[in-house]
This record gives sequence, structure tokens and C-alpha cells, in this order.
Amino acid sequence: MRIAGIMEEDRLWKFGKPAWLNSAWARNAGVYSAGALFSLAFYVLIDAAVWSKSPLNSSDVHVTFIDWLPFIFSSLGMLIINSVEKARLSADSFSYSGSGVAWKARVVLFLGFAALAGGMAGGVVVFVLKFAVHQVAWPMMGMGVENIVANGLVGLSSVVLWVSQNMEDEYSYNLAL
Amino acid sequence: MPNAGLKTIIALSFVLAVGFLLVILSCALYKEYYPLLVVATYVLAPFPNWICSRWANPDDFVESSGNAVLDLGRFCTGFLVVMGIALPVLLAHSNIIEVPAMVMCIVGGLLIYGTIISFGMSFQDDQEF
Repeated sequence: MRIAGIMEEDRLWKFGKPAWLNSAWARNAGVYSAGALFSLAFYVLIDAAVWSKSPLNSSDVHVTFIDWLPFIFSSLGMLIINSVEKARLSADSFSYSGSGVAWKARVVLFLGFAALAGGMAGGVVVFVLKFAVHQVAWPMMGMGVENIVANGLVGLSSVVLWVSQNMEDEYSYNLAL
Repeated sequence: MPNAGLKTIIALSFVLAVGFLLVILSCALYKEYYPLLVVATYVLAPFPNWICSRWANPDDFVESSGNAVLDLGRFCTGFLVVMGIALPVLLAHSNIIEVPAMVMCIVGGLLIYGTIISFGMSFQDDQEF
């Protein structure tokens, strides 16, 4: 309870987090839905690839490796971001900042966010250069839109995973005290 | 609940049979056997949680890597559950299977997964003590 009191004092925002957000239930639900969102992203992209080779696709625009590249980058970014130990980010305020853990964590996180943002921007680039510029007709245009949607969902998934992993700290505090 | 055990088993096996019936029907009626993948998905879905809960040491609060392993298992479970719904939708969107087959396949898959989950939940407590 004492630690919870301290956390109340150095809170930045006017509105605190609601209490249910710190429960183990909300945390687990967050992690499950992050997996669900990532799966949705993956299958939206697979859908584009399968549809491209199906007889429904009457044009000669096809999903190639280029369309997969943004997704690969954003997934890589998500993997990096969520593999970093979040507690090390604030290592400055503790004694073990001497080995430069916080600095390393920031560099790795920067690379991760760059890969994620690059992947999301790459999805838009593929859409514009491959579909919008050539003015592909609509059912075929869907393959480009699905690319943007897939990368957006990967971003959303990593946000959900990040937030629910940050809940963890306060949850384990509550459990330890 | 020693009495509820038998009823639960009978009810669950009925639900499982109905689930399998729906999935196999969705394949056999249209002579297209891709929807069987959904069964494999839902049978695999509880495995990440089982494996990761064995792998992680739940008593270890100092080292939070145990929690990360559990999270990995939950993430994979979420992935597999949505995969079971997304796969038939994907196949139907590309005209590989018909829309009625997609509906039967999704409902059957959810019944199978629900059976597996409720089986685990109703008999977990008995094993623990």
C-alpha cells in the first residue's frame, strides 16, 4: 500500500487508471487480444495472397514478395519492441544504470519502433506505387487495402501488448505486498 | 463434484461430436477438404498455454521472465483461436469453399474449441487437489 501511495503522488495525468485495469484478468485479456489482432493481420495478408491467385482475380496484378516485405518489417519491429524488458527503460533512477542498460534498451527500442513504423509506411508505399498509381479497378484494389490494414493491425496489436505488459508491473507490486 | 463429472463428460462429448459433424459436413457436402484445417487449429490451440505454464516458474516473482513466457503462451493461443475463424473466411472469400460451408465450419470449430476449453476448466480443479 505504501508503494501505491507513492505512485499516486508522482502521477502525471489528472485521471488515474481505473482499478479494473490493473487486475490480472484485464492483463490476460489484453495479451490474448494482442495475439488475436496479430493473427487477424496475418490472415488479412494471406487472404490477399490467396485471392490474388484465385480465379476471381481477373487482372494481372498479383501479390508478390514485395507485398509481404512491409508486414515482415512491422512484425520484426513488434517482436523487438515486446522483447525488451520494460523495467530497464527507467533504469536511470536506479543504481544499475552504470552498465548502460537503459541506454541499450532505448537504442533497441528505437530500432524496433523504426522497423514498426517503417513497415506501416511501407504498406502505404506498396499501396500507392503498386495499386493507386496504376489505378487498379476495385476488387483488385482490395489487395492493396488489405496490405495497409494488415500493417495497421500489427501496430495496434503491439500497442495492446505493450499496454498490457505495462499493467504487469503494478499488478505484481500489488501481489508482492 | 463427483456426480457432476459424468454428466459433464456426456454433455461435452455430445457437443464435441456435433462440432466434428458440422466440420466434416462442411467438407464432405462440397467435396472440398480444406476446412479440416480448422480442426487441427483448434486441437493445437490449448497447447501453447499448457506448454508455457509448465515452462514458467510461477513462484518466481523477482524474475519476471516467467510472466513473459506465460504471455507468449497467451499470445499464441489468441493467434490460433482467431486463425480458426479467419481460415474459413479466407477460403470463402477466394471462392475455394462455399459460404454455407464456411458458416458450418466456423460453428463446428467453435464447438470443438469450447469443448476442449470447458473440459480443461471442469477437470482442472480435480487434478490439482
